[in-house]
Amino acid sequence: MMSAALAPGQAAIVLFGTFFTLFLLRVPVAFALGLACLPILAFEPRLSPMMLLNETFKAYNSFILLAVPFYLLTASLMNTGGVTDRLVRLSRSMVGHFPGALAQINVLLSVFFAGISGSSTADAASQSKIFIDAQVKEGYGLSFSIAITAVSAVLAVIIPPSILMIVWGGVISTSIGAMYLAGFLPGILIAAAQMVTVHVYAKIYNYPVYPRATLKEFFYAGWISIPALLTAFIIVGGVLLGWFTPTESAAVAVLYTTLLSVFIYREMSFKQFYDALVETGRLSSIALFCVGTASAFGWLLAYYQIPRALLENVSTWGMGITQAGFFIAFVFLVVGCFLDAIPAIIIFGTILQPLAASVGMNPVHFAIIGIVSLAFGLVTPPYGLCLMISCSVAGVPIRFALKDTLIMLIPMILMLAAIIIWPDIPLILPRLIAPELLK
Amino acid sequence: MKRFLDGFHRGLTWLMAAMVGILIIPVTLQIVSRYTALIPSWIWTEELSRFLFIWMIMLGSMVAVREGTHFVVDVLPQLPPRPHAAVQIVADLGVLVFAGIFTWYGIEFVKFGWNQTSELADLPMPFIFAAWPLAGLTWIVFLGEHFVRNFRIVAGRAPA
Repeated sequence: MMSAALAPGQAAIVLFGTFFTLFLLRVPVAFALGLACLPILAFEPRLSPMMLLNETFKAYNSFILLAVPFYLLTASLMNTGGVTDRLVRLSRSMVGHFPGALAQINVLLSVFFAGISGSSTADAASQSKIFIDAQVKEGYGLSFSIAITAVSAVLAVIIPPSILMIVWGGVISTSIGAMYLAGFLPGILIAAAQMVTVHVYAKIYNYPVYPRATLKEFFYAGWISIPALLTAFIIVGGVLLGWFTPTESAAVAVLYTTLLSVFIYREMSFKQFYDALVETGRLSSIALFCVGTASAFGWLLAYYQIPRALLENVSTWGMGITQAGFFIAFVFLVVGCFLDAIPAIIIFGTILQPLAASVGMNPVHFAIIGIVSLAFGLVTPPYGLCLMISCSVAGVPIRFALKDTLIMLIPMILMLAAIIIWPDIPLILPRLIAPELLK
Repeated sequence: MKRFLDGFHRGLTWLMAAMVGILIIPVTLQIVSRYTALIPSWIWTEELSRFLFIWMIMLGSMVAVREGTHFVVDVLPQLPPRPHAAVQIVADLGVLVFAGIFTWYGIEFVKFGWNQTSELADLPMPFIFAAWPLAGLTWIVFLGEHFVRNFRIVAGRAPA
């Protein structure tokens, strides 16, 4: 590596400088990442722009990432095929009598949804359509409604299955099964924090309550939701038991949801199925295209050993596991404001991994800190995908819902701190159920 | 011209959706073949699904350029229509450079793979590599449409 014409510092300035300039000029992130590589590729005699094509090819030629379109497709099929409707009904019978009923249902539905789909953007897109209008009609504030829909959508990547965990497992080689188990408790805690937040809002602003569902209603709603809830067990259980790989489990989720929608609930036409395919293709390819150019960018960072140069300073700070955990969370929270989670994992996950290892942090603990922090990045501006989706469904600019979103993030960040301080929160389930995965 | 572009756009969208739909088949076969003796466990299912996946992403990236749905980060405040169109032209120029690289080196990429076949299924690699120059060219065409529209807005000859 001594033969590189640029020193790590110079290369880093060129790479990040070009990237940020382009991105301020509103060049799409995917292209800005690729273009940022060009000056280096032109300057460095041993490299050529051919590398961009090679690296994007290598990134897309991945069986692991195939789970992304499958999870998005599962989510679209759930919405058109009537699965979501049943889950709304079940959520209503469970939390409809709490203050802020509809908003509580919004959060609880995200938990159920998270257990089936691994995509937060799919959750934000579908629940924004279901809840924002309905909540406003019942007298909830518009900005509150947008914010709660967006922040509850982040649960989808924390509670298994999760696209981010699959990507993390592919890039940093951590057991996906162990991450699935580890994500469960943190997800439930964050959901609980959100429900408390809704409760406080509901008390202050006097939001409406539904009459308490009878036990019979609850059982009926539970009964018709069983086939839908089974999806979660098939997907997560199938992976844990080694029946299929995470990617295959996502394909099983698609098949199962299609079966449910076509044969059991019978609510899907061919046109709707085609629309779901188009929607899935659109959403997954823009996210994944970004992964390709981010990989090229990350490859250059590694070529100049920039991560090592950056960490040389940090590792002399003498951090313990908890300090390192806060540092990692801080980096991912900041990065998550500007970058999509998948390229962030590829670029920064690989940079931070040696730091986590050097302080003796459990790789699964590291993964959960990273994933939860990046999940919060889905609602932090300027680049908060879920917030952008919810705002665009509601037809308002992002700054409109900003204040409520930030307020709701405070209890969620407290939960993240708890996860950092007590590694047992994420680690207890994998330790009890599948200790061999933690090794 | 608009009709041609609309048709092309629709064709690409249809192909992309087809890729998503077809993708499910090899992955399902892979699971079925592992647990039953109904079909032999073909080793190429995994490779074929990866190649379909590559085409899906590249087709989707083409569609997204026309629809303007590639992720953009809005740090700058909302501008009035004419300055906005001017900024858009600059941003599109960036994408154009990238499109040029994909086209030019994409052709090299296809030539490089000319005599290669894939490891498992013996598929000719140019079929896969062709997605890169095709994406480059398609971006250039769709960007041309953006340039015309934005120049007219900047020149004040079209309502924003």
